[in-house]
Amino acid sequence: MSTADLESQDSVDPESSEYDDDDDDNIDDYYYNGDEDEGMASDKEEDPELFEFVIIDSNEAQEIFDLLVVKICQEIKVSESVARILLIQHDWNTEKILERHRVDPVGLLIEGRIIPDKPVAQTTSRSLYCPVCFQRCTKSNTTSASCGHAFCDDCWMLYCVTQLKIGLSSGIECMNCNLLIGEEMALKILKSGAAREKYRQFLFNDEVKCHPLIRWCPGNDCGFLVKVVIPKAKRILCSNCNSIFCFMCGEKYHTPTDCYTIKKWLTKCEDDSETANYITANTKDCPNCGSCIEKNGGCNHMQCIKCKHDFCWMCCGDWKSHGSEYYECSRYKSNPNIVNESAGIQAREALKKYLFYFERWQNHADSLKREEETKRKINQKIQEKVNNNIGTWIDWQYLLDAAQLLAKCRYTMMYTYPYAYFMEDGRKRLFEYQQAQLELEIENLSWKLERDELYCRGDFENQMDIAEKRRQTLLKDFLVL
Amino acid sequence: MSGGLPRRIIKETQRLIAEPVPGIKAEPHEENARYFRVSIVGPRETPYCGGKFKLELFLPEEYPMAAPKVRFMTKIYHPNVDKLGRICLDILKDKWSPALQIRTVLLSIQALLSAPNPDDPLANDVAEQWKVDENKAIETAKEWTRTVCQRQIVHTSLSGLYKSLCARYQ
Repeated sequence: MSTADLESQDSVDPESSEYDDDDDDNIDDYYYNGDEDEGMASDKEEDPELFEFVIIDSNEAQEIFDLLVVKICQEIKVSESVARILLIQHDWNTEKILERHRVDPVGLLIEGRIIPDKPVAQTTSRSLYCPVCFQRCTKSNTTSASCGHAFCDDCWMLYCVTQLKIGLSSGIECMNCNLLIGEEMALKILKSGAAREKYRQFLFNDEVKCHPLIRWCPGNDCGFLVKVVIPKAKRILCSNCNSIFCFMCGEKYHTPTDCYTIKKWLTKCEDDSETANYITANTKDCPNCGSCIEKNGGCNHMQCIKCKHDFCWMCCGDWKSHGSEYYECSRYKSNPNIVNESAGIQAREALKKYLFYFERWQNHADSLKREEETKRKINQKIQEKVNNNIGTWIDWQYLLDAAQLLAKCRYTMMYTYPYAYFMEDGRKRLFEYQQAQLELEIENLSWKLERDELYCRGDFENQMDIAEKRRQTLLKDFLVL
Repeated sequence: MSGGLPRRIIKETQRLIAEPVPGIKAEPHEENARYFRVSIVGPRETPYCGGKFKLELFLPEEYPMAAPKVRFMTKIYHPNVDKLGRICLDILKDKWSPALQIRTVLLSIQALLSAPNPDDPLANDVAEQWKVDENKAIETAKEWTRTVCQRQIVHTSLSGLYKSLCARYQ
């Protein structure tokens, strides 16, 4: 990421300046490509993956919520507790609340289950029986919401604790009608510190859940939140736990596939993966000499150690046909006569189609895992070189950059397969073409990275530039937002 | 909650016995005051008329914060009651409120007999029949009520005979 670009972003959105530090970190993590030439900078302005977000902790999120609560309190003169209920009900849309308040202030509160729709008869007697425990109690140790249904404080407490157990907080109703009791009354009722803390925590969860611009980081025990400017299915990198996820669905980031499709795909994979795993066993035979070959690197360009035959891991075809010519093995060729075949054959064809895409998806996922190993090896190699006085640490950084870019491209590549699987014909040819182009460059880069002593820095930078451009082209053309 | 029976349960039980709801009888078990034997008379102008339906009702530890557990012991052909006698009734589930009582629950079950709700079924086959051919479903319900009642009469007269025999030989 160039600095020029960050500045332009700041000038567009003055509000983002307060989060400048976070922003820099996030974008740098993702786009760090120290040696990129100036020419790339201008292209980045229309980077289809660029997305503005900040990682915040729960205190910061609470501040955001509280500001809106105070605003509503002042504007329509209600208690904080009521304002919070209204905001949760209206997904934090203050405009909607104020508009409704202008039109029908009483209606707003009735619909929000804050006041009863019919006036209530207040009990006048000093002592009464609690309708839940049937104990005699005085007015001073009973509580009621605005509906006037009075119960003794002990019963209220037992009730609230039970409701908390089933996960309710802002949704706790009166024991006799559906009026909401709200935060103020709940905290007055709940005496124990643990219960109060639990209530606050659940209430905060409710607040987060309905806020359209804030969501929890899905990382294990992360506890941080992400806040965006416009809610979109884009990439979030948590600066706390390094999880990478989609803002809209919270699943692993899945561009260019959309949230709905990736969910369908992942469900399908869960159902079918055992069969597929069995079929895509870990080894293949060399198509030339028949030696058993285990894939232990990320690159699909294989070279048999025994016979030196170059072939493609995906299609087992000769690698020569993959080099300069049209790279085709990311494209699934369906049988054109399929409509005329029997149901059995059609089912087999459907399974074949699924396996085709699944195998590629899985293959890239595996490669991504192995890429970690490659990265570790590169680090080791650089260390050795520096120790032997062959260049400095800085001189070899391009290798790490290349590995990082390779992982990024492979990640996108992996998520093109679910997209392709569910794609209707129409633009499929173009998609598959671009997919193939990207795959070819990824494999080239991967190949070079595994044999870095044979290539110079210029080779790498050239290859990285091409691969990233292919990736961007594909995303620009097919990213639906 | 301490070991003793809450005042609420004692009071409710006293009132159930002192002022019973017409058509409903509920008695606590001698050994467990939280377990009730209930019988509901089939309401008039319903296919259950003439039948006497036995139920069991249990007040869990959390009662009244949690709903009582109720189950039909007598076989009944009803879209909201399944083969095991479990009842689909909102106030026994999510719509339970501590302000409700055993009395209100039993009244609701009595009302459910008068107004079956096949749109929120528990016994799918029965509900289906109810929707497809209501007259036939009502006929089946009547049929079941008759057989069950006859069996009950036979059962009571037999147990009466048994008791009198026991008395004689003691």
